[in-house]
Amino acid sequence: MDLLFIFEWLDTSILADMSKAYGGVFAVVQMVHLVALAMLGGTVLVSDLRLLGVLLSDVSSESVVNNMDRWFSVALIVIALSGVFMSSAVAIKLYYNEMFWAKMIGLFFGAAFVYFIRRPLLRHPHDTINVWSLRLIAISSMIIWFTVAASGRWIGFS
Amino acid sequence: MLNEWLLSFARWLDSFAWSTEIHESFYLYAWIESTHVLTIMVFLGMLFVIDLRMLGLAFVDVPASKISERLDKPMMIGFALMVISGLFLFFAIPVRSTQSIWFRIKVVLLIAAGINAFLFRRKMKQAKGDWDTDRVPPKRMRVGAGLSLALWIGVIMTGRTIAYDWFDCHKELPYFMYWLAGCVDEMAALD
Repeated sequence: MDLLFIFEWLDTSILADMSKAYGGVFAVVQMVHLVALAMLGGTVLVSDLRLLGVLLSDVSSESVVNNMDRWFSVALIVIALSGVFMSSAVAIKLYYNEMFWAKMIGLFFGAAFVYFIRRPLLRHPHDTINVWSLRLIAISSMIIWFTVAASGRWIGFS
Repeated sequence: MLNEWLLSFARWLDSFAWSTEIHESFYLYAWIESTHVLTIMVFLGMLFVIDLRMLGLAFVDVPASKISERLDKPMMIGFALMVISGLFLFFAIPVRSTQSIWFRIKVVLLIAAGINAFLFRRKMKQAKGDWDTDRVPPKRMRVGAGLSLALWIGVIMTGRTIAYDWFDCHKELPYFMYWLAGCVDEMAALD
C-alpha cells in the first residue's frame, strides 16, 4: 500500500505551513522531541533492567514496571505528536528516506510489543512468570527502543 | 581577553589532523553524535526517574534515598560517556563551537546543573530518617528537583540548538551579540 498520499497531505497541511515558516518553532518542537526521547529511554531502561535483576533489585518488579509504564506512555505521546509536527516540515523528503522507515517500523513494532505483549503479560504477578520470559521481554524491549532511537538520529545523516 | 584566549585554544585544537578527520569522516562523526544522543537517554532518563520521585510523581511508596542511590551508578556511567562523546564532538568542530552562543549558554547551564546536583546530593544524604519515606518530599527538595530538571532540559535544548546558525559569526549581528558569541575578528572589524 502506497502511503505517499499521507505525506503529500501532510506537506500541504497547516502544520507544514507552521514548521516551514517558523524555524524557531520547529527547533523548540525538535528539543521537546529529544527530551521526551530521553524520558522514554529512562523508563525503558529502569523497567527492563529491573526485570533483568540488574537495577533496583530490592524494589518489587511490579512496582517498578507500574511506576514506569505511566511515564513511558506520556513520553511516547509527546514523541508521536512532536514527531508528526517535525515530519510535516520535510514530509516528501522523509517518504523517500530509508532510515525514516526503519524508525517508523521500529516504532510501530515497539508500540505493539508494549501494549499487546509486554503489558498484558506483566499484569500477572511476576513470580508466576517464567524468569526467562521476563528476561526475553526485557532484552527485546531494550533492543527495539535502542533501534528506534538510533535510526531516528540517523535520519538526519542520510 | 577571555574571548581571544578561547578562540586561540579552539584554533590550536583545530590544527590537529584528528580534529579534521573526525569532522570529515561521515561515519565516525555520525557514530559519535549518535552515541552522544543515546547516552543522553541513559543519563537524563535516570535523572528524570530520580527527580520524579523527588517531586512525588513516581515511586511514592519507595524511600527517596533508595531510588537515588540505586540509579546513581547507571546515571553516572551515562554521564561519563555523554561527556566523553561530547568532548569528541567539540574536538571535531572546535572553532564554530567556541563561537556559538548556544554552546556557551550550554556550558553555563552545565556548571549550574553540576552545582545544583552537588547540593541536592548533600541534602539527599541528610534525608535518611527524616522525610525519606514521605510520599511527597518537602518543598525545598521539590524545588531542587524541579531546578535540576529545568537545568538539564536547558542543557539538552541548547545542545540541540548549536546546529542552527542563527547567531553564527558570519551573520550580521549587533556588537553585543558578537561579544557574547566571541566573534573576535568581527568585533575587530567594527572597532
